[in-house]
Amino acid sequence: MRDEQRDSSIERAIARAFNGGRYSRRTFLRRAGKGAVVAGSALTLPAILAACGIGPAGSGSPTASGGGLVGGGEPAGTLIFANWPLYIDQDEATGESATLQQFEEETEIAVDYNEAIQDNQEFFGTIQPALAGSQDTGWDMIVPTDWMVGKMISLGYLEAFDVAASVPNFVANAADTYKNPSYDPDNAHSVPWQSGITGIAYNPELTGREITSFADLLDPEFEGRVGMFSEVRDTCSLALLHNGVQPKDAVEADVRAAMDVLREQAPLVRGYYGNEYAQELASGSLALTMAWSGDVFQLQFDNPDLRFVVPEAGGILWVDNMTIPKGAQHPNDALAFMDFVFRPEVAAQITEYVNYICPVPGSQEIIQTHAQEAADGGDQETADYLTSVAESELVFPSEEMLANLHSYKVLTEDEEELWNSLFQEITQG
Amino acid sequence: MAAWLRRRRGLIPYLFLLPGGLWLVVFFVLPMVTMASVALQEGTLGTGFTFTFNIGVFPEVLGRYDEQFLRSLLYALVVTILTMAIGYPMAYTIAFRGGRYKNVLLLLVILPFFTSFIIRTISWKFILADQGFVLGTLKDIGLLDDGFRLLATPVAVISGITYNYLPFVVLPLYVALEKIDPRLVEAATDLYASRLQAFLRVTLPLSISGVFAGSLLAFIPAAGDYINAELLGGTRETTMIGNVVQTLYLTNNDYPQASAISLILMVGLIIGVVIYTRVLRGQELTV
Amino acid sequence: MAANASAQGSLRRPRRDLASAILPAFTGLVVLYLMLPILVMIVFGFNDPRGRFNFTWQGFTLEHYANIFTSQPRMNEALINSLIVAVVSTLVATVLGTLIGLALTRYEFRGRGPLNLLIFLPIATPEVVLGASLLALFVSAGLARDITTITIAHIMFNISYVVVTVRARLAGFNRSVEEAAMDLGADEWTTFWKVTFPLIFPGILAAAMLAFAFSIDDFVITQFTAGVDQTFPLWVYGASRIGVPPEVNVMGTIIFVIAVVGIVGWTLLQRREQLVAEPTRTDR
Repeated sequence: MRDEQRDSSIERAIARAFNGGRYSRRTFLRRAGKGAVVAGSALTLPAILAACGIGPAGSGSPTASGGGLVGGGEPAGTLIFANWPLYIDQDEATGESATLQQFEEETEIAVDYNEAIQDNQEFFGTIQPALAGSQDTGWDMIVPTDWMVGKMISLGYLEAFDVAASVPNFVANAADTYKNPSYDPDNAHSVPWQSGITGIAYNPELTGREITSFADLLDPEFEGRVGMFSEVRDTCSLALLHNGVQPKDAVEADVRAAMDVLREQAPLVRGYYGNEYAQELASGSLALTMAWSGDVFQLQFDNPDLRFVVPEAGGILWVDNMTIPKGAQHPNDALAFMDFVFRPEVAAQITEYVNYICPVPGSQEIIQTHAQEAADGGDQETADYLTSVAESELVFPSEEMLANLHSYKVLTEDEEELWNSLFQEITQG
Repeated sequence: MAAWLRRRRGLIPYLFLLPGGLWLVVFFVLPMVTMASVALQEGTLGTGFTFTFNIGVFPEVLGRYDEQFLRSLLYALVVTILTMAIGYPMAYTIAFRGGRYKNVLLLLVILPFFTSFIIRTISWKFILADQGFVLGTLKDIGLLDDGFRLLATPVAVISGITYNYLPFVVLPLYVALEKIDPRLVEAATDLYASRLQAFLRVTLPLSISGVFAGSLLAFIPAAGDYINAELLGGTRETTMIGNVVQTLYLTNNDYPQASAISLILMVGLIIGVVIYTRVLRGQELTV
Repeated sequence: MAANASAQGSLRRPRRDLASAILPAFTGLVVLYLMLPILVMIVFGFNDPRGRFNFTWQGFTLEHYANIFTSQPRMNEALINSLIVAVVSTLVATVLGTLIGLALTRYEFRGRGPLNLLIFLPIATPEVVLGASLLALFVSAGLARDITTITIAHIMFNISYVVVTVRARLAGFNRSVEEAAMDLGADEWTTFWKVTFPLIFPGILAAAMLAFAFSIDDFVITQFTAGVDQTFPLWVYGASRIGVPPEVNVMGTIIFVIAVVGIVGWTLLQRREQLVAEPTRTDR
């Protein structure tokens, strides 16, 4: 009877696979030869696959952005929409979105709403192979951040449309700041969803003083209590502004100088965060940190001491945009939705919940009206809440604040590589 | 059917292997082959990638990221030791003292997994916060320096990985220990072995397959882990090779380098396991 | 000899009491350690934050519990998807993996080495690469990414874990029991189901639990292979960008409670069965 112990363990089998007993030169060469044959055939396999048109991710050349504009047709009746979580109004009890319900009622387009975007790059990683292979990603409308929109446009991954014809409400109601942005001239591929500010948030109890500029983030006094962003565009842009350079004008020398500042700062930094900084700020682990306006607005409800400032040298205004990926099945439905949300009442409805910057200035008044209605109806809590939304600089920034806000630089591929490699050295070593 | 099978006895193992093996070939080997070819490509997202048999990518990434490779291996080793140290006594207790509560205890061990990793990590960040109820209290009493912190340190990262992989160590250990006939231990003690001797000479060697499986299930994923370093660590001091792969793939869109690092990691781990196997093999022969 | 035995006996007793106490105490501590974040999660399910973040305690409320099945429909959808994927992938992977485990430990065949390598490699590969390469495969095959592709991916990586776990149980399995059964006239099929299977079942169950845990908590691979469908970890990770709502804690708590109740109920059921079947048997 076979001895179970001897031939059943994984360790023995693996060991046997790799040394099978004694090695003579002959057995080694024979195995190496076999291995080479296997390896060789493995490597020709992708070549065969590629020849058949099945290439590895990224091996397809970018689809030309020619192919005409979408729009001008009848909606198909379905909209498959990918958005960030908690980025649309949501009833507390029923969880339904009034905006989506109203849209569905009015247009009879069924919306398949998915909170599928957790991160720009991660989401991009999931749709890139389909786009590279000129296939349908499965989405009709997605909401990337402006720099990702710029990147996708340069790769030819977004459908183009005539914004004046297809999204007239945008042209009519949106603030000028959002028209003809640097990352998407003439809004040929995108319209804003919500916008926000990248600035500095801090807890005066922990910092002991007011924080006003990027230089405060470099102060050795706060060693181990400073937070920075892991997204290079945010962090480096603030550093560029600190050096007196506008991001869109930055040349290589400027970038290197900014990176030098960041490199010097590195020992003081507690972490290069994505979204997790909010918890650290709330719990007091971070005294001051780069932050997004909407987050701080929310955190202030629980801790009114927290403050958000736009650095003296300048902050960043970023925009999340509704876009249509190439190959989308129902572009007309997407355009219909885009037009719908630029009605001031709808924009107000969304912003009341999401609390990021609304691209439609007219909604501020509407929110104030809603606040008044709530007060009249006896619901003081909602009234207070809505008033705070309407009056918050973080949701409706003043002209002064906007003047000190800048956009990200649209990076060419080479520039992106430079930025990424320099920054990676700082954050990851 | 049983009779038909009996006549073709030699076929049985292949039949058993077929479904699972086929699944792995289609959904693992094929993608891996693709990945291997991607590693040898060059190019960018914009200009497309072309196969240039760029074998130089391997020494390139090894040289550039040697620190992260080593750190990951080190962390993985510490995690493995910790999970073994915590998990073995736990599995032992469940297997030998569990009685009718064995399954209950086992389920308790994997219960945390039903709550999603993010929630667990957020909870840990709450527990270990600089001014939280653990550290804050200790600081107020004066036992800890005010600048002390646990989060954003290697300790937090290793603790996070340990916490998340503990169940994966306990389960195989339990499985191996559970099958040991307690009468063997009884026999040993009847023959004047102390309980410690009985454990070292009888129980431990018989459970080696569990130790082996458990340590693999801890070490290997820990070496490639990135999420703990991302959420509980912070800077270059705690960057693991998994973070590098993540960044290269998603941020830099440098698929060739990301694939190359993954290949190196895989191969390195295989070699490590083979060495480990031979060490353990020596141990087993003393049974 | 006799004196020796009794001397050892008396020396043995106090040590055994200590040892008897340490191990269970240690286990209790470990269980506590494992449950600590869960406790925090449960507590924060009752929190009443004014804002959208749930990081600091503001006040007690039950409203999240009241609305749990309606207030976050997409979270509930994601959870259902997670459960479906976990159950299906666990079942399939456990069957496939156990078959492989049985083949490896009980039969002779060629290609043992490569097979072991094949099983071991998915565990060794960084998840981002596994996920990305699978995505590339699905795209080239023209397969739309949804719950099916997620399940396929989960089955793939779970097979390896099942094999590794089941083997630890199958190794050293004493086949003489099977031989005895066959000597008594049972054919191979009956022997397997009536003798072998019940004996190896604990190992298979443990492997299944492991696979289930991996599947329900998986994030990276799922992220790449999900498409239009979300799973619970994906949804929570995404939600943490804007603020993890207390509903997540509530859901986690509910799942936890259901699991605990299920375990307790099953244990009681088992105990009653045992008592009914063998009322005179004493437990160890």
